Amino acid sequence: MLGDVFKLFIENKKAALGLCILLFFITVAILAPVIAPYDPKANKIETIEVIETERGRNITVERENSDEFNEKRIYSQTVTTTYEKNTKKFPLNSPPTSEHFFGTAHSGQDLFSQVIWGTRITLMVGLVTGLFTTILALTLALVSGYFGGIVDDIISLFTNVFLVIPSLPLMIVIAAYITVKGVFPIVLILALTSWPWPTRLLRSQVVSLKNRDFIRVSKSLGEKHSYIIFREMLPNMISLVMASFFQSTMGAIMGEATLEFIGLGNVSIVSWGTVLYWAQTNGALLSGAWWWFLPPGICIALIGTSFALMNFAIDEISNPKLRKR
Amino acid sequence: MKYFARKIGLLLFALFVAVTLNFFIPRMMPGDPASDLIDKMQGVPPEALESIKVAFGINTEDPIINQYGKYLLNILKGDFGISLSRFPTPVSDVLKVAIPWTLGLIGLSTIISFLIGTVIGIGCAWNRNKSAATFTVGFFIFIRSFPYFWLGLLFIYLFAFKMPVLPIGGSYSPYIPKEGLDYFISVIKHAILPASTIIISSMGAWILTMRNNMINVLAEDYITVALAKGLPLKRIKGLYAAKNAMLPSITGFAMSLGFVVGGGLLTEMVFGYPGVGLMLFQAIQAKDYALMQAIFLFISAAVLIANFIADVAIMLLDPRVRDGGK
Amino acid sequence: MNDKRILNVSNLVAGYEIKKGFVKAVDEVSFTLDKGEFLGIAGESGCGKSTLAYGLMKLLKDNAVIKSGSINFNGQDIQAYSNEQMNQIRWVDMSMVFQSAMNALNPVLTIGEQLTDGIFAHKDVSKEEAKNRALEVLKLVDISADRFDAYPHQLSGGMKQRVMIAMGLILQPDLIIMDEPTTALDVVVQRTIIEKIQDLRKKFGFSVIFITHDLSLLVEISDKLAIMYAGKIIEYGNANEVFLHSLHPYTKGLMNSFPSLTGPIKRMGGIEGKPPDLLNPPKGCRFAPRCDKSLDICFKEYPETYSKSENHWVDCHLYNKDGNSNG
Repeated sequence: MLGDVFKLFIENKKAALGLCILLFFITVAILAPVIAPYDPKANKIETIEVIETERGRNITVERENSDEFNEKRIYSQTVTTTYEKNTKKFPLNSPPTSEHFFGTAHSGQDLFSQVIWGTRITLMVGLVTGLFTTILALTLALVSGYFGGIVDDIISLFTNVFLVIPSLPLMIVIAAYITVKGVFPIVLILALTSWPWPTRLLRSQVVSLKNRDFIRVSKSLGEKHSYIIFREMLPNMISLVMASFFQSTMGAIMGEATLEFIGLGNVSIVSWGTVLYWAQTNGALLSGAWWWFLPPGICIALIGTSFALMNFAIDEISNPKLRKR
Repeated sequence: MKYFARKIGLLLFALFVAVTLNFFIPRMMPGDPASDLIDKMQGVPPEALESIKVAFGINTEDPIINQYGKYLLNILKGDFGISLSRFPTPVSDVLKVAIPWTLGLIGLSTIISFLIGTVIGIGCAWNRNKSAATFTVGFFIFIRSFPYFWLGLLFIYLFAFKMPVLPIGGSYSPYIPKEGLDYFISVIKHAILPASTIIISSMGAWILTMRNNMINVLAEDYITVALAKGLPLKRIKGLYAAKNAMLPSITGFAMSLGFVVGGGLLTEMVFGYPGVGLMLFQAIQAKDYALMQAIFLFISAAVLIANFIADVAIMLLDPRVRDGGK
Repeated sequence: MNDKRILNVSNLVAGYEIKKGFVKAVDEVSFTLDKGEFLGIAGESGCGKSTLAYGLMKLLKDNAVIKSGSINFNGQDIQAYSNEQMNQIRWVDMSMVFQSAMNALNPVLTIGEQLTDGIFAHKDVSKEEAKNRALEVLKLVDISADRFDAYPHQLSGGMKQRVMIAMGLILQPDLIIMDEPTTALDVVVQRTIIEKIQDLRKKFGFSVIFITHDLSLLVEISDKLAIMYAGKIIEYGNANEVFLHSLHPYTKGLMNSFPSLTGPIKRMGGIEGKPPDLLNPPKGCRFAPRCDKSLDICFKEYPETYSKSENHWVDCHLYNKDGNSNG
């Protein structure tokens, strides 16, 4: 069953395109150290070359004769090394050139390298958060939908309540209070504010599956709960779970960029969001430095589009009415 | 009526949760932001320090329950404390000035976006096989993937910087006296770019939702029956298809309001539009926690109420909900 | 065309365009229908009967099309009609009663609105006149007038089916096509509906094409019977004839698969196997793989039609054109 879904997925043109884009960025992220021409935080290149090393004379500083057989001497010698240090400073605020494909930032950092390295953090935060959120949502949905009763009532109540409390303000409020800086808090905040939507979505499907005949048959045959959940229900939910994962991941990427942009994230790391943050705080826009904020935005949009395409494909696979004929 | 009662109950409970969260979050955060802040505030008047302490609930001998009670009472009175960044203005005054701008910009933009998006979505579903429909859908998928604030930046760059047609930011020109036609025009001019940002970013969601809903509805049997009866196309498109497709759309609208409002706030920040969003941004920078919390409450309340209105709309439109509740 | 004949379907081919080709759900189907006649079309799921029904009203959409053949209704060749032209005759001269198990009623409109909009689409009458007519037909199907403002979800399955029937009657068409109108209803309600249909027919004299997989319903009430299998009508004739003197092995199998209320208890037979693939139908008789009387030629050639009498013919190699039995 999984194999069929996968095959359909690959054959779908939209999914294939989406997947290609995603794989492209993942490759960039993995190969960052190799591809990036410069250190993302450096605004100059320094090369140090030793020209000459000159050794001075050996001078005896101390001499000790403990007895006629043993002697201890301490020598001192100066060594003079002559260096050549070449410093090449990057141009400040420069539009794209052949040496700096995306131009440079206010204080000269190479933006191309920043975007490449930024892919790592952005993708990592996105995927980890997406995974975490999806697993959390799936667990809650299964427990709530399958077992029903008061557990369901409580979980559903909280899901519905948190669903309507707007996530961005909540994120902002939480993030503003956290002084511990780092990537992990960001992941946590994002996950804590985005779990309700997929939980509700997945729960509806669990409930509707639960009432389908084949599950009822399993139940009346006395199958164990874990069997029914993992072997009967989950395989039927694959497409929805995948779609949720994509949505959560995309939401996390956007959320990370947003938090960084406002300055609530960790501005010392390099991610697409921080690039935009620095662009904004240095007035890139108003000084006409379009190259600063254009690439990160386009990259985010490309990844978003890739997820949307794959989502589209999943929709079409699970709902044949939407397929093109 | 059961449905209505349930929805009101949900609204009140959610408000209660938002208020409570607001109270507990500062007290639960790791890293002791309070002392952090106090350390940074060397030459600050003692009243300001007091308000911080109250907001964080430190150095009070009052047990938590008492603090909570006082907090709830204050909220009901409309007292949100003193704003740190605009000391000594009370927070409620700051809000009073900012709220109308936000309601106007985000409120109107969201409604316009929903309406236009829904109509386009219906068109895309009805004319499913035309290339215009495919192109529209594809275009909006791409646009939707750009962060809201980024689109705002792009618009500013294109239309206020490169081609200085529209103003860069603010909600009105400070050089014009605050009344009369000139003022009104200035307000509109300043609203065009931020409104367009919100509308274009969020429209995609409505288009896609409505399109998918319509496609599902058009495959239903009652549409075939309507065709068999030889009903005029307008009636089938409207009362048979769209009216049914709207229902999940409105539900979706209600659920994504929080997200749309969030995007609107970002837009305000980017454009320097003096609404609640910009206030929030500035509050963050200045670590004005009292203001931040009040804004959070306001936004939550607004979204919750808007949600409730959408729920009521569904009740009025869907007879099945009226009778049984979903 | 004599003036008793209201429908003449000739070599109709209809089906579904898919990537791999064309699925012929209706393959060269021909039959006629007279005024006031009741034609029952029976066959198992997938035999093409619903495609036929929708095709007659030109309701096939998306990738379902009529490929060739003619449909002559009331003297007009309607297979060439445009949608506007069809809309003139839809519901006025020819209507359809859909399965109640389907989601055939719009959930957000009252049944009163759904009854009257059919009238307004074709006749210029006042709201009151339309409402009166709607109440009339509701009365005919034994639904009380206070249900006029009810919504579909407030009605039972049987009531919804009766509303569909009322809707089909509302403009007094000459022909009503009924697609499985009693499926998904319990037998008692089924009985009531069938009797009601009989009743109304006597009163108003419209023709009926009744499509079902349940042959037992048809034998009492039909004038004519058509047995469909894999896209073809394989036997056709007067209901009594077909019932008492079935010719085709498939028909015989069908007749044997429901017990009679009276008479000796006999062993029920089923028909093993399943229908063929309509994308690439077999060359010979389509029933051959499942037929216990099949001959060699059955797998090679499609049988010529044998007419036992003017009103009873069959497509089967067991009977060649001259009436000599081959088996």
